[in-house]
Amino acid sequence: MNNNIGLSDILLISPMIALFLASLIPITAKVLRGNREQHPLVTLSQALIGLVIAIGLMVVFGGAGRTAFHNGLVFDGVTQWMGVIALAAAGSAMIMMYENPATKGKQFSELIFLAMSSAIGMLILVSAVDLLMVFIGLETMSLALYLMIAMSHEEKLSKEAALKYFILGSFASAVFLYGVAFIFGSTGGTNILSFMDSAAELVQTSKLFLFGITFVILGFCFKVSIAPFHAWTPDVYQGAPTPHTAFMATAVKTVSFAAFLRIIATKSLVGSDHLFDILQWLAVITMIVGNTAAIIQNNFKRMIAYSSIAHSGYVLVGVITAGVSENGAFGASGVIFYLLSYSLMTLGAFAIASMLENNENSIVNIDDLAGFAKQRPMLALCLTVFLLSLAGIPPALGFFGKFYLFNAAIGEGLLWLAVWGVVNSVIGVYYYLRPIVVMYMKEGNADVSTHSLNATTVTAIVMALAIILMGFVSGPIFTAVEKSLM
Amino acid sequence: MVLSSIVFLPLLFALIVAVWPKQSTLRPLALGLSLIEFLVSLGIFRHFNPASTGLQLVEKYTWIERFGIQYFMGIDGISLWLVLLTTFLTPIIILGSWSSITERVKGFHVALFILQTAMLGTFLAMDAIFFYVFWELSLVPMYFMVGIWGGARRIYATVKFFIYTMAGSVLMLVAIIYMMYLTQEATGTMSASLLDFYSLKIPFVGGTFFSLQTLLFFAFALAFAIKVPVFPLHTWLPDAHVEAPTPGSVILAGVMLKMGTYGFMRWVIPLFPEASEYWAWLFMLIGVVGIIYGALVAMVQPDVKKLVAYSSVSHMGYILLGLFTFNAYGMAGGLYQMLNHGISTGALFLLIGMIYERTHSREISKYGGLAGVLPIFTIAFFIITLSSIAVPMTNGFVGEFFILLGTFQAQPVFAYFAITGVVLGAVYMLWMFKRVFFGEKGELVKDEHHPLHDLNAREIAVLVPLIIMVFWMGLFPNHFLNYSKASIDFLVNNRSNYNLTIHPGDASSVQHAQGGN
Repeated sequence: MNNNIGLSDILLISPMIALFLASLIPITAKVLRGNREQHPLVTLSQALIGLVIAIGLMVVFGGAGRTAFHNGLVFDGVTQWMGVIALAAAGSAMIMMYENPATKGKQFSELIFLAMSSAIGMLILVSAVDLLMVFIGLETMSLALYLMIAMSHEEKLSKEAALKYFILGSFASAVFLYGVAFIFGSTGGTNILSFMDSAAELVQTSKLFLFGITFVILGFCFKVSIAPFHAWTPDVYQGAPTPHTAFMATAVKTVSFAAFLRIIATKSLVGSDHLFDILQWLAVITMIVGNTAAIIQNNFKRMIAYSSIAHSGYVLVGVITAGVSENGAFGASGVIFYLLSYSLMTLGAFAIASMLENNENSIVNIDDLAGFAKQRPMLALCLTVFLLSLAGIPPALGFFGKFYLFNAAIGEGLLWLAVWGVVNSVIGVYYYLRPIVVMYMKEGNADVSTHSLNATTVTAIVMALAIILMGFVSGPIFTAVEKSLM
Repeated sequence: MVLSSIVFLPLLFALIVAVWPKQSTLRPLALGLSLIEFLVSLGIFRHFNPASTGLQLVEKYTWIERFGIQYFMGIDGISLWLVLLTTFLTPIIILGSWSSITERVKGFHVALFILQTAMLGTFLAMDAIFFYVFWELSLVPMYFMVGIWGGARRIYATVKFFIYTMAGSVLMLVAIIYMMYLTQEATGTMSASLLDFYSLKIPFVGGTFFSLQTLLFFAFALAFAIKVPVFPLHTWLPDAHVEAPTPGSVILAGVMLKMGTYGFMRWVIPLFPEASEYWAWLFMLIGVVGIIYGALVAMVQPDVKKLVAYSSVSHMGYILLGLFTFNAYGMAGGLYQMLNHGISTGALFLLIGMIYERTHSREISKYGGLAGVLPIFTIAFFIITLSSIAVPMTNGFVGEFFILLGTFQAQPVFAYFAITGVVLGAVYMLWMFKRVFFGEKGELVKDEHHPLHDLNAREIAVLVPLIIMVFWMGLFPNHFLNYSKASIDFLVNNRSNYNLTIHPGDASSVQHAQGGN
């Protein structure tokens, strides 16, 4: 094996290099200044510039399905779209970190360094086609994240969340690696491309391979919180500082689904009916568990955590569709579009939650929102848009996300999954309406933080506008996504 | 551009109202804007050809090419009057809400205008997804209207309203997507256009529930049946009506319920002719049950508003009955009854709102002898009561008469039972009228500390247009039905093979759209 690394390899991974260099600037500056924090705004801008450059490099050099490092990484439409969504989401989460009381100030440079490192892991994950590369991406992303959560200025819940996330995340990684070992044993390789064409047959002929691929899939089910592997999600999402929760619920989930799509693209579902059935049931159970559990939550973050579990169920419907269809591009672009819309809505909802936190120990309960609409009409309106969009009310973007997803599912004959999906969105309406009811229809004094939270406000307003406006042009966006995957 | 401006002007008005700086001139501004909207909608008559059976004033542009979804609007005799009903009622509602809505006035008018856009879009959209967007959008402003400005149990009522209606419509979405795939199978390209849906031949097997056409039929019918609402699915309506503020009740009864019956007429019956014929007995049955049940329950209500709410259930039963007769009398009567119900029930809710503002009570037992104190109010209430119980010369008579005529022609058995509703309707309305307006003066009426004032000029101005319409529609039904006759006859005669076409005069805009593709 020769170890030549060509210029094209370097160009393809240039976004990761850019991110890495940008991540070093704030901590280097801190060291050079004698361990004194530079102004957080400077740190934030350095990070955001790094992200923008990375996105730019990714758009310029990515795409076209080229591979780098001996087929270890691939740069195609999925990489580009999911990568851009993840980086943009990470950037928005960093803006929230800059202003949230649990994350701002002390040790901000370190935090940004970790968040950027996590983003590098994400880019590796979205482009990886070798299962070991997937593992490296997964771990780079997650390790940074464990630390980020533990660094919260809040003393109790965040530490618990970090430990819980660490233990369960490591367990999931172990399950994943276990599966990889079986795949290696049965096919002699870990590269998805190497067994891409034969996977549909292998799952029938080789029990070892079936076992391996099942474990790999289950590992991802942990990561994207598919029931019954979702139990860590509410605790971690609630305990982590709100910006980190936003980061996990959007960027991390998006890239994990990207890797999930790569594994599903091997068409092992076509070969194994059992695997196909199990995944369908997991999707249905996830939707039901997420939506019904969200109904009884009073903590806003916990409610959105369960909602994000439910949305994982919807996305899994799309992943299954992509896995069984002849032309996977339609299903996969449904997934990408849904994750785009979901990320916008969820980021927005967490941005509002972040603004409601006065100090690092704040707990935002739904009942505390009473009177919010009178005090901050603009923010209340934004939150309403996010929640209605999450509920899938047209003409918001969330409706079109669901429309494309279920359209693809019905096109593949998965009518019953689509029916479960829409039935669940009715259940979802109930709890998405609750905060709106409290905000607009109950009297009270919502305890809005008095700090200047301008950047977060702007982020929320931009998201809300994007959700409304992108709803009208969702068609061209979807077509663009689909074209890039063909 | 006529239809687009009619649908989207209110949205623009909502924006204007939202940024309007002066609180004091907000109401006149909103009234003026809604009158402009009404005048613009009257402009339809300049272009509308009553003799044509086709779709007129068509606007058709590609919206989402990948799935054949279009920005497609058109009007015919079926939707014409519902559009005008909407634009006619809105200024009345705004004028009628001047003293009942005192808080968050700006927000109220914004919600009202957005709701108007959603309702008009529902009546005019000719593309399934485009229609669905308006259909669901209409829930949001209504939800806020009941939830913010409503009565004591408003939150329960509004959440129930939202979830009930949403639950009905999501299966319709699945059915729409399924039908889009059927068009792809039939023609090679996917389309969500209603006209393409009409030309589908969906296999139907009688005697089983699990045949494709029957399943699609029920997926659509459920959505519309909840909205109407028909008998077993009606429980959200009394709650929503009672808790809604007066303008909310008027718009709910006046227009939003019609979205359901319109859906039957425009979507369910022509799209699934065999299934709707096969299951017609079921819908006629629940129509009749609704008529009698609604009337009986209305009779025992102690609360006037709840009484009128249940009378809505009864009246909507007539409309459903008329539509499922599938003959010209029944259909025309059904359409006419939609307008009547909008006018007379809307007026009743306005009147109840007026007296409620004076006494803050809707309990029938606390009134009595009101006729001697409030003569003008009594006269207005009496006229509307007559219209509601379908006395000849009022609009209600024409609608009910046609429906019963059609039912006798199609299914006499149902007509025997339905006709008892006419009597029962008179019973509950007149009995209520007697208890409120005649007899001993009730505790609220004889209260010396709070003497009641008769209607003021604004309130009379609210009622006069409605009362004029009651008699106009009662005495000259042809002024209205002539515009709808061609479309209804076309639907009745070609029901099993409904091929609605675009009116030839509108070919230019269609070519334009094709050029755009």
